[in-house]
Amino acid sequence: MGRKKTLRCPTCGSLVTATDEEFPFCSDRCRKIDLGKWASGVYKISSPVLDPDVLEGTEGEPGQRERRDDE
Amino acid sequence: MSTKELSPTTETILPGNPDQATYTSENIKVLEGLEAVRLRPAMYIGSTGEMGLHHLVYEVVDNSVDEALAGYATHIEVTIHVDNSITVVDDGRGIPVDEKTLDTGEKMPAVQVVLTKLHAGGKFDSSTYKVSGGLHGVGVSCVNALSEEFDVEIWRDGHTWEQEYSKGAPVSKLRQSGTSKKRGTKVHFLPDKSIFTVTEYNYDTLAQRLRELAFLNKGLAISLTDERTTDPKTGAPKRADFKYAGGIAEFIKHINKGKQVLHDKPIVMEGLRDGVDMEIALQYNDSYSETVFCFANNINTVDGGTHLSGFKTALTRTINSAGQQLGLFKDVKENLSGDDVREGLVAVISVKLPQPQFEGQTKGKLNSDIAGTVQALVNEKLGMFLEQNPPVARRIINKAIEAARAREAARKARDLTRRKGALDGGGLPGKLADCSERQPDRCELYLVEGESAGGTAKQGRDRRFQAILPLKGKILNVEKARYDKMLGHEEIRAMITALGCGIGKEDFDPSKLRYGRIILMTDADVDGSHIRTLLLTFFFRHMTELIRRGHVYIAQPPLFKIKKGKFEQYIKDEREFVRVMVKRASDGMIVRYGAGGASLEGSALTKFMSQLNDYLGFFEKVNKRLRNDEVTGLFARLFAHEGKEPAKRSDFEGPAGTAPAKLVELHSELEKIQRSYQFKALHAPAYDEEHETWSLSFIDAQGAERRIDWTLAASPETRQLLAKFALIREQLQPPFVVEYAPKVAAAKADPEDTDAESAESESESDKPAARRTSRAAAEPVTKLTAQELFEYVIEQGRREYQVQRYKGLGEMTSSQLWETTMDPERRTLLQVKLEDIAETETIFSTLMGEDVEARRKFIEDNALDVKNLDI
Repeated sequence: MGRKKTLRCPTCGSLVTATDEEFPFCSDRCRKIDLGKWASGVYKISSPVLDPDVLEGTEGEPGQRERRDDE
Repeated sequence: MSTKELSPTTETILPGNPDQATYTSENIKVLEGLEAVRLRPAMYIGSTGEMGLHHLVYEVVDNSVDEALAGYATHIEVTIHVDNSITVVDDGRGIPVDEKTLDTGEKMPAVQVVLTKLHAGGKFDSSTYKVSGGLHGVGVSCVNALSEEFDVEIWRDGHTWEQEYSKGAPVSKLRQSGTSKKRGTKVHFLPDKSIFTVTEYNYDTLAQRLRELAFLNKGLAISLTDERTTDPKTGAPKRADFKYAGGIAEFIKHINKGKQVLHDKPIVMEGLRDGVDMEIALQYNDSYSETVFCFANNINTVDGGTHLSGFKTALTRTINSAGQQLGLFKDVKENLSGDDVREGLVAVISVKLPQPQFEGQTKGKLNSDIAGTVQALVNEKLGMFLEQNPPVARRIINKAIEAARAREAARKARDLTRRKGALDGGGLPGKLADCSERQPDRCELYLVEGESAGGTAKQGRDRRFQAILPLKGKILNVEKARYDKMLGHEEIRAMITALGCGIGKEDFDPSKLRYGRIILMTDADVDGSHIRTLLLTFFFRHMTELIRRGHVYIAQPPLFKIKKGKFEQYIKDEREFVRVMVKRASDGMIVRYGAGGASLEGSALTKFMSQLNDYLGFFEKVNKRLRNDEVTGLFARLFAHEGKEPAKRSDFEGPAGTAPAKLVELHSELEKIQRSYQFKALHAPAYDEEHETWSLSFIDAQGAERRIDWTLAASPETRQLLAKFALIREQLQPPFVVEYAPKVAAAKADPEDTDAESAESESESDKPAARRTSRAAAEPVTKLTAQELFEYVIEQGRREYQVQRYKGLGEMTSSQLWETTMDPERRTLLQVKLEDIAETETIFSTLMGEDVEARRKFIEDNALDVKNLDI
């Protein structure tokens, strides 16, 4: 984090800067398209179930295997 | 006056019937007198301002264009003189000069009738001009009536004829002034200054209309000379020549100049059907706007009409059917609409027909019944074109599909903010547990993932100023290997409604925000982090200003609770947990390492353990590729560098034939352990020509090939591993011997020691049973690997406490949640900053990407887990 990255309009991929009126979009049209995607449930985050640890969310650092010692 | 010789041409401009003998006074019908024109000029030419002034030129030029349409004239010269008088010369047939008998019995030359009687002229007789333009059809007589001076010169039948007028009345008789082989008409007029409020001609205005006329009349040459402006060097007057062999196709190119077009050449459709001469050209650019010009007999029909509607109908139909045939509509629900197929369209429609019917005062709309004719032509010609040019067809259709999607998206976006019915209780979402305080800057809204956590939060909150909105992340199992999470329409809608600040360019108003703080409170697991990523991305994209103004926060629920007797402590993350455990365990602990008897204790030990924790974390990730602890350890030891560049490409470089030293060393080390791990094969370092680097590979006991090369070394997690290794290289020398300083250990003997971990302890056979009751009695313990040492030390700490790990907010009681996460006195909140979230945006974009393989790789490479998504 903290790296300066060029941002691209999430819809069309054209370059945008933080001072643009429609930031982070390049235009109202691209904003509307994106909003429509949110509204219709297009945005999903996928976890590949290739690694069961990732899926379980228990991929802890060594020494912290899951326990419920006081239960 | 211009006397430039107009060169005859053999070029035929439009199909016509050049039969000069039929154009005589018989063709002129007298309809009305001129007096009214000077009385009410605006009624005839629109205005006495700039528009009307220029209109005079158009009227005269239109007569010449009519001669061109009829197939006679090929050149029109327009000159603006220094006194703002105008000369228009054409090479048409020349206005008839023979005597004409009026209805009153009066006799006068035909040209005089044309110039002095309203609605007189050849254009009212369709046998003379099949097609005739003219803006208002009032004719050149109006121009005469409104001019101080009006001179006409006609070259016809080998003679030159001249006559002068003033304010519509002849000041001389038509006379034969000489002989000439030319043909055509020259009109010179000076607008009457007592009529016009503006008398200065605008070059650009005239140029634009004349250029348009040249586009519309393919091959017709029109020039414009402005004698008021001369080139300072040559002294030549300003001049422009308009002649377009490509006609309206060139018009299209002119409009699209500087724009990105979807196909190089405009699509041109031409045809003469049912007496209608049609010329249509179109070309798409990558913009979203629609530019369609339509003309009927050269008149710009700004309000469209039958020719435009016929074109639109056919365009929509043809593109839809072409899309069907090309199979491009597989995931398009409805047909493309007219608006969809016209996004980015530039089109010019020009029709020429006898006796056009217009509608309205301005005659901006064509009423003649030709929609079907135009439609048939476009259906046929455009259909054929698209069929014969599938790549162009695909680009056009895909653009229209994109337009349709955008329209659909915009509709759905509007739905998000559409007000619900009155039953909805003030419009606030039913799931919202609002606070009683109404002053926004004192209010907080917790966005809580999950119904059960939402319930806990509702019970635990301070209802005076804390509101709770539970959000449910929908889980979808798209495929076996994937696990999808999303925020449904209703969740987003509820959130927007609760926040009260609207959304979208028109509606979003941060001043209407109902809460001073928006706090995202999600579980500390992968699901929770996914929901948080979704929410943050949504805020970043559509409520950017709220983040800018510092309204958005992330709650920090604890991950652990440790307890010892009456002592309780919440711990926010794993790093902190390790720190606390190590601190506890290292009291009085001495760790000896290596053969030299060096040791660590106190704060040095704590620091080492924390670094070891980092190292082991990356060790595990890298080891997922090599699947052999010892190989991974060897690799780290050989290839780690201190400083900013923990991995160096030079370690893998070398000329073909000479393997780099480190790889050779690794190879010999692997040879030693090859047998004990039952490697099926161990290959000598090999040169990779493609990358000009060396690599080493072996086949492990499971038959999998493991490769050590620059690609492995350069990966983010390997770099991290090597960097961490470099920090503790000195201490990482097994075996490790753990001892206790006797006096401290005695003091720390702890009778309350829990046996909760006994099940785990059993497996660690090297742990003396005696240690369970008293450390004082402990013998030194030897650990052969860093991993074992780490686990042992943590174990020593954690056996002192009862440890609870919270997997979700729902596992806490409402009072625990209040104490740890929601109580303003005790909680810590992370304020979301725009810079941080830009990073999330990048992650999100990758996660949302179409490319499943890239996404999978990204997740693996970045070992995407809770930590990486933490802000």
